[in-house]
Amino acid sequence: MSQYIRMEIIKGALEYTAEEMGIALRNAAYSANIKERMDHSCAIFDKYGRLIAQAEHIPVHLGAMPLAVRKVIKEIDFNEGDYVIFNDPYYGGTHLPDITLITPFFYQGELICYLANRAHHSDVGGKIPGSMPGDATEIFEEGLIIPPVKLIKNGELDRDVLRLLMANSRTPKIRRGDIMAQIASNNIGLRRLKAILDKFGKENFHESVEDLLDYSENRMRKMIQRFPKKTIYAEDYLDDSGVSDEPVKIAVEIIIRNDEIVFDFSKSDREVDGPVNAPYAVTLSASYFVLRSVTDPTIPANEGAYRPLKVITRRGTVVDATFPHAVSGGNVETSQRIVDVLLKGFSEIIPNRVPAACQGTMNNIVIGGTDPKTGNQFTFYETIGGGFGGRYGLDGIDGVHSNMTNTMNTPVEEIEKRFPIMIIKYELRKNSGGLGEWRGGLGIERVYKILTKGKLSVLGDRQKFAPWGLRGGLAGAKGEYILVRNGKEIKLRSKETITVMEGDLIIIRTPGGGGFGDPRNRDKSRIIEDIKDEKYDKEYIERSLGALD
Amino acid sequence: MPHNYRVGIDIGGTFTDLVIFNTKEGRISLVKKVLTTPTNPSRSVIKAISEISNKVLEELEFIIHATTIATNALLGQLGLELPKTALITTKGFRDVIEIGRQRRPELYNFFVQRPSILIPRRYRFEIDERLRFDGEVIKPLNRDELLRIIEEIAKEGFESVAISLLHSYANPVHEKIIEEELRKAIKDIFISASYRVNPEHREFERTSTTVVNAVLMPIVSRYLRNLVSNLRKLVRAEIYIMQSNGGIESVSRASELPVSIIESGPASGVMATKYILDNLGFKNAMSFDMGGTTAKAGTIINGSPLITTEYEVGGKVHVGRVVKGSGYPVRFPFIDLAEISAGGGSIIWVDESGALKVGPISAGADPGPACYGKGGVSPTITDAHLILGRLNGSYLLGGDLRVYFNLAEEAFKEKITKINGLDPVEAAIGGLKIANSLMSKIMRIVTVERGIDPKDLVLVAFGGAGPMHACSLAREIGIRKIIIPESPGLFSAIGLLVVDFKHTLIRSIRKTLDEVSFDELNNIFTELENRGVKLLISEGVNKGDIIIKRYFDTRYLGQGYELIISGDGLTHGNYLDEIRERFHSAHRNRYGYALIDEPIEIVNARVDVLGMISKPKLTRLRKREYASIEPIEHREAYFESTDEFQLVPIYSRDKLWPGFKADGPLIIEQYDSTIIVEDGWGLEIDDYGNIILTSV
Repeated sequence: MSQYIRMEIIKGALEYTAEEMGIALRNAAYSANIKERMDHSCAIFDKYGRLIAQAEHIPVHLGAMPLAVRKVIKEIDFNEGDYVIFNDPYYGGTHLPDITLITPFFYQGELICYLANRAHHSDVGGKIPGSMPGDATEIFEEGLIIPPVKLIKNGELDRDVLRLLMANSRTPKIRRGDIMAQIASNNIGLRRLKAILDKFGKENFHESVEDLLDYSENRMRKMIQRFPKKTIYAEDYLDDSGVSDEPVKIAVEIIIRNDEIVFDFSKSDREVDGPVNAPYAVTLSASYFVLRSVTDPTIPANEGAYRPLKVITRRGTVVDATFPHAVSGGNVETSQRIVDVLLKGFSEIIPNRVPAACQGTMNNIVIGGTDPKTGNQFTFYETIGGGFGGRYGLDGIDGVHSNMTNTMNTPVEEIEKRFPIMIIKYELRKNSGGLGEWRGGLGIERVYKILTKGKLSVLGDRQKFAPWGLRGGLAGAKGEYILVRNGKEIKLRSKETITVMEGDLIIIRTPGGGGFGDPRNRDKSRIIEDIKDEKYDKEYIERSLGALD
Repeated sequence: MPHNYRVGIDIGGTFTDLVIFNTKEGRISLVKKVLTTPTNPSRSVIKAISEISNKVLEELEFIIHATTIATNALLGQLGLELPKTALITTKGFRDVIEIGRQRRPELYNFFVQRPSILIPRRYRFEIDERLRFDGEVIKPLNRDELLRIIEEIAKEGFESVAISLLHSYANPVHEKIIEEELRKAIKDIFISASYRVNPEHREFERTSTTVVNAVLMPIVSRYLRNLVSNLRKLVRAEIYIMQSNGGIESVSRASELPVSIIESGPASGVMATKYILDNLGFKNAMSFDMGGTTAKAGTIINGSPLITTEYEVGGKVHVGRVVKGSGYPVRFPFIDLAEISAGGGSIIWVDESGALKVGPISAGADPGPACYGKGGVSPTITDAHLILGRLNGSYLLGGDLRVYFNLAEEAFKEKITKINGLDPVEAAIGGLKIANSLMSKIMRIVTVERGIDPKDLVLVAFGGAGPMHACSLAREIGIRKIIIPESPGLFSAIGLLVVDFKHTLIRSIRKTLDEVSFDELNNIFTELENRGVKLLISEGVNKGDIIIKRYFDTRYLGQGYELIISGDGLTHGNYLDEIRERFHSAHRNRYGYALIDEPIEIVNARVDVLGMISKPKLTRLRKREYASIEPIEHREAYFESTDEFQLVPIYSRDKLWPGFKADGPLIIEQYDSTIIVEDGWGLEIDDYGNIILTSV
């Protein structure tokens, strides 16, 4: 068989394997976060820890896994039937709730590759339910740190390890269910890989993997060659660290040379006392996301595709955090800003192919406490979409997740049945998309009514620095989190943990996307449609356009 | 007048197929293809029917109709403009339908779009009312506001209204009030209320299903009314509509519930498979239908097709799976099919880095494969078979269609050899292997992903191209027996004529096992059954022909996906243990483990009511003695199992009768298909004329 044909077939089989692992994980999982929102990812690595295939799940997981696998396999002596579990962000993890399970695949006694899946667990202990405290300064406040340990050794589940993990979560049974689902996922992968090796044999398999990596590299280099050779500097800010009020700068220099590309983040701010520090894996992950998006997403995502990219950081900065800094927001918030700053840079390289800024946050909401009905602890976690940036020729999408995440919302009818929470409103946020020839997408307004005393933790951003517009487009609306207690509105910070009382309302208004192009050039009929649909007020548009003249 | 014939009509994108099935002889007696008239599809149906002989029309038992009109309308097909539709929903939640699950269908595409919105925001009305999750009224419906809304709906000239309120699955009281008031105020308005269409929790999916139904009601009911009144001029037989669940229903039910007919065409191939299984005494099978542009796989377990309730209409398909968020979710029973763009017309091409690819672009019927000589310049899977000697080198369709080997070869040289140096034979082999690897994925999706081991199945392969790939695919996924029906190219349409009435009724429960009593469950079932039986009787089914099946949608408390388990055979005494046992074992089968000490939640009660229709028996053919049978020729052809060209006998299927036996490699040609029997497979013609291949 021609090598390219074999490669194409093996590539397809590996991608399918990763997909099937994802389905098994979702189906068997326990928590709403994985089942309903699909906050998990699966990938396959060769014996050197090089990414060879992944399923299109959550970008922030996927991009960070290669580093994790490389680090873990250096540390751990893998035998057949071992399943290694870990979440340590300083081991290539992202933040503590993301638990990874790695299983080696042996064929005829020889190590061939590794299967890995990563899933966001809605509670791994720490000082607040949901394990993402907005004011944490050390990782120890964010939950249980799991270094790489064997959860299954030679096929034998270590119940002590499992008990230890369960004991450190507010929702131990759900943790167990989700971990079992992660095991089931890798088991499916093992079965499928064996069938692939049975068919092709070791030699052919290894050869095809090399071919596949080279193939992706080759395609990626060709894409990069088409970019103008430029060096562009861009910067953007996070509102604050969650502890102080100082803005946190993320800066990048994008250098395009012939068929290579460098993202140099050295000029970013130093790491902070607060949870927005990103471990290097997260920065890598955001970089991979942008590279794929600005080139050609049909290039198979593997180590080869990333060979032409160099990501430079300075240790001890907010994009390359050091132990024991808190990191829970690095994964969810800083990662979004890293993407924003990269895209701002690319907007000067390929101007019409990059959208204006998307909402730039994930709006992490955690509500926890004791359920008065059952007396059990509960932890409710979700993230909320916002506006997508306006694009050349297209408005931004209203109320959607963007860039580093793509998790689903939790159905209102599921939340109200399972948690002492009611949702009072869930709608698009009027006037929030930045005006433009192609306007930004609208943010979302979601209002929670708290039915029992508990803790609320919010972790978001873009409440001080609005999502920017491009080429004359206006910025999107900033986000707002508001507590309503006894009829009085109290503005919350973007990163905060508070005690909530029965009857409190929490209003979350997520940012809109930036506009693209001068709003005065917008097609009049589209403006009229937006007003008819009550997505914008006529007065608001007139006022904003008036201010431009 | 004896009822000796049934007619099936399947409207496809290009052709409208009409099949006449002689029930006395148990075989197809006539097939007609007329061009579909997309803007007014009933015209092509009438045209096809009017060509049937009077004798057949007089002896017609019934007509069963499958149509793609619903899908075409949602895909924005010209001439099927969507009606002006309103949505009435709970205050604060009018954007549920627009935000959807807040995902974008593609991760790395900055120019990604949501499917266009079916009901724009200005047509969504909010009403002050609120229920709790258990159905308790927290805030009564504001009647004054309702009257204002209705006034506006009347004034604005809406044709159809969708009603979907929060938690209405638990208590339809407010939806019912809205429905009644609407009906009182506006004559002839179409109303789609979520408690009727899809009384299950998860507001987005329920609302989406209800909205899709509302949008389709005017289109489908108008179409069917038109069709029936035109048919009445020609024929007296009753007309029934095929549903996506593999059953049929009356015209009036389809008009009220058009979400039920969305995928009616593809369902018929699986039902034809079930028919042949029932006749041959098999229980478990995979149906594999490969035509010109797509391949579809489905499964039948214990005599019943696998059903899914998660579906997106008009969604993009990526390697067999509908991309989440790319279409309109419809929660309704659909025969579980995985589909991929791989067919005889799929184009084989080379990407910029030299890798060989197959599809998703198809040369379709026009210009078709290069070898047809109708102007096609890109090599296709059909061209690959030709290059490899697997198809007859000079004609297809029993001589009706000339093919040109040199044109196929030219296409490979021009589009592939010139770019990456693979010669036409290597490229053709590569194209086949890649197509097979794509198709093996859809086979895995409907088996291993559903917890089914393919080695327990027989493969029923049909469609013009299905029998050319069956041996390789069966080997790939571990199936050891293949059935190739008599007319593979026409087989799918038989499915329309051997189906039963079928309706699914659902009631939300959402309680753990220890929170419900047997009587409570039994009462819910009885109520659903009474409704189902009433419905069947209204459709003309005799009481004695009704079969009822009970099911539960169950999960471990806290899980977000349900497994359907049987609810039959439960008693006061055993129901707790039985439900537990059935669920644990279903969970173990599907996911590999069970959590014995976890509470089980019963999410829904589900009842299938079936109105059985007599099915003709396949006719046994007379056995013949084969002292020797002469192949029509010998030809060099490529076989995947040996990875080489071999000189093999070519038989004409017309000459093969029950009793014939042979071993692969060999090739059989027939009017509507070609059958490749790879090395390692034994062939036998069974008593009904089917080809049975067994792995040796």
